[in-house]
Amino acid sequence: MEKQNVVVEVEDLYKIYKVGTNKVRALNGVSFQVYEGEFCAIVGTSGSGKSTLLNMLAGLEHPTKGQIAIRGQHIETMNEKQLVTFRREHVGFIFQSFNLMGTMTTIENVALPLTFRGMPKKERLKRAERMVKLVGLEKHKKHKPNQMSGGQQQRVGMARALVLNPDIVFADEPTGNLDSVTSAEMMNLMRNVVNKHHKTLVMVTHDNQLASYADRIIHIKDGKILRIEDNKDKRKEASAVSEED
Amino acid sequence: MRFSDIIAMSAGNLWKRKVRTILTVLGVMIGTASIVVMLSLGIGLKSAMLGEIQSQGSMTDIQVYNYNIYGSGDAKQMTDETMEEFLAIEHVKSATPLLTTWITMEQGKWRTDQQLIGAPQEYLQQIPLAEGSSYPATGTNKLELLVGNGVICDFYNPSNYEYPYYDNGELADVDFINRTVFTKFESVYTTDAEGNYIEQPSRRNIFPVVGMVEGGVEDYNTYCWNVYTDLDALKKYLQDTYRGKAIPGQPTDRNGNPYRYFCYENAIVSVDDMENVEAVQAAISEMGFEATSEMEWIQSAQQEMLIVEAVLGGIGAISLFVAAIGIANTMMMSIYERTKEIGVMKVLGCSLGNIRTMFLTEAAFIGFIGGIIGLIISYVLSFVCNLVLPDLVGYGDAKISLIPVWLVLLAILFSTLIGMLAGFFPAQRATKLSPLAAIRNE
Ligand SMILES: Nc1ncnc2c1ncn2[C@@H]1O[C@H](COP(=O)(O)OP(=O)(O)OP(=O)(O)O)[C@@H](O)[C@H]1O
Ligand SMILES: [Mg+2]
Repeated sequence: MEKQNVVVEVEDLYKIYKVGTNKVRALNGVSFQVYEGEFCAIVGTSGSGKSTLLNMLAGLEHPTKGQIAIRGQHIETMNEKQLVTFRREHVGFIFQSFNLMGTMTTIENVALPLTFRGMPKKERLKRAERMVKLVGLEKHKKHKPNQMSGGQQQRVGMARALVLNPDIVFADEPTGNLDSVTSAEMMNLMRNVVNKHHKTLVMVTHDNQLASYADRIIHIKDGKILRIEDNKDKRKEASAVSEED
Repeated sequence: MRFSDIIAMSAGNLWKRKVRTILTVLGVMIGTASIVVMLSLGIGLKSAMLGEIQSQGSMTDIQVYNYNIYGSGDAKQMTDETMEEFLAIEHVKSATPLLTTWITMEQGKWRTDQQLIGAPQEYLQQIPLAEGSSYPATGTNKLELLVGNGVICDFYNPSNYEYPYYDNGELADVDFINRTVFTKFESVYTTDAEGNYIEQPSRRNIFPVVGMVEGGVEDYNTYCWNVYTDLDALKKYLQDTYRGKAIPGQPTDRNGNPYRYFCYENAIVSVDDMENVEAVQAAISEMGFEATSEMEWIQSAQQEMLIVEAVLGGIGAISLFVAAIGIANTMMMSIYERTKEIGVMKVLGCSLGNIRTMFLTEAAFIGFIGGIIGLIISYVLSFVCNLVLPDLVGYGDAKISLIPVWLVLLAILFSTLIGMLAGFFPAQRATKLSPLAAIRNE
């Protein structure tokens, strides 16, 4: 196997919630890596700690113990202000419930993270336009979220996560609010982006079927990694079979 | 984030919640309007009052009196020399002595006792004259008289002491200009060897009346109750007529002999600036004379006005305070509503400072717009006040409500600042919200 650049390095990560006198070990000693240009899925049953892990990778929550380095930068030591700056520069995020701004059009929503960077309007609209094209929404670029289907809205969400040209994109159940056909379309789109544009993507899902679109699958249970499954070769076989049909 | 983007986003958010924004703006508007109208009333009343005072006499003049003019022999007297002393005081522009003496005027059966004031030409020349009148000449032997417009009211019938004007509202049949008026100085009293008073009656004279003070008999002005003549002419006349004897209206020494100089009961000292009136007044009092000026009651009136202004401004301030609470409430609500949106912005990398600025800008907008509309309302209310109130308060057509430019600028600045102040706590709250709010799936 060729040598790959590490984008995310997680080491011995713990997250313990105190609920009253109880301690909930949402993450209980997790270590793994995510490599550049790969599509990585985190799979597990409900309550296994997937979201907790992803939130900490994206710097939305502080770990109780352990280290997280993204492109060598340790985010567990950063304060709120530094984390915001870090996300603005390096991280894209796709939400389960899309979370688009209701008053903004597709283009404006996609351009929003660039607005936070202080980019001039002309420049950011140009870039947003490119992203909208990438996710195949040119026809809907002047539409508001409530004028689009869930699948279309999630494409906007994806374009918005990619517009920053981030080092890594995180997605928490990105198809959780979509039907199976639309979910499959969405998965193909994500695959496409990772393959063609050499993006790194980490996705959380409880659905093994959806996880099978990934290059690598991290199975977790009760806050611990069960096993890490290499899915690359399987997928190649699968696509070879489907081509034969 | 660019400031233009922050402005656009804040404005967009306000626009999205139009009704609530309008209601909050309404509060600020009422607050600003009440504070501005109240202050404008205070300012207007003050300026109307100052105008009133100014129209009644110069505010830089000090009236100096020597009430002790007939006092014992060594009493301090106000003489031409004293005038020089007044002039030597810093900031004094001029010192005008007024030589006062009493005269009796008669025409037909009518008689009146009046104060005759000998004044220098500079003083006489500023008295407004009725049509066809002229000022008493200087440098003549004959006394020429200028009669106040209200003097005619004082005539009475000496046989029954009937005052036609005061008793019946009719004017005595007296004509100063076209018919002869007989004038007499008051009698001089001396004591003989036994200590009895001896009256030395003065002669009846005919002094031509050359002018009347402008105005009807009822129109009050500083000059309406007096008779004026030229100071030098009066001095010369009195000296010539009463040579070696006591002069009417003038004090005498212990032996009943007149002084070689004239003593004044009243003088007017003009000061260069309102600011210096008080100091000069104090200096004159120091010299042993009674000194009064309009400044004293202007100051006390101003103090009263300050209280009125504070009360009026306070009422306005309370309503603006209530408006500020309204802004804070609106911002708080909007932040709770937008918890998720704020979380999303944080996840997408919007800096904490930008979030704070965004909400502060929203609050400032509410204050600013409320301030502007409040000012427009203030102008309308002020116009109505000026239309209705002057008749009620009795300031003629003076403006009761005045909105100077500084008040306009201050009002806008203040309402905007109030908005920001009210928005500060909610904005701070917004920066503290967790980005995880964006993740939760409701
Ligand atoms: N803020 C919190 N306070 C206390 N306990 C929490 C908190 N957040 C998560 N947990 C607990 O941590 C564990 C992991 O939660 P997490 O949300 O990561 O699960 P998940 O794998 O994402 O589940 P799902 O598939 O249902 O989203 C759960 O037992 C949950 O109850
Ligand atoms: Mg979850």
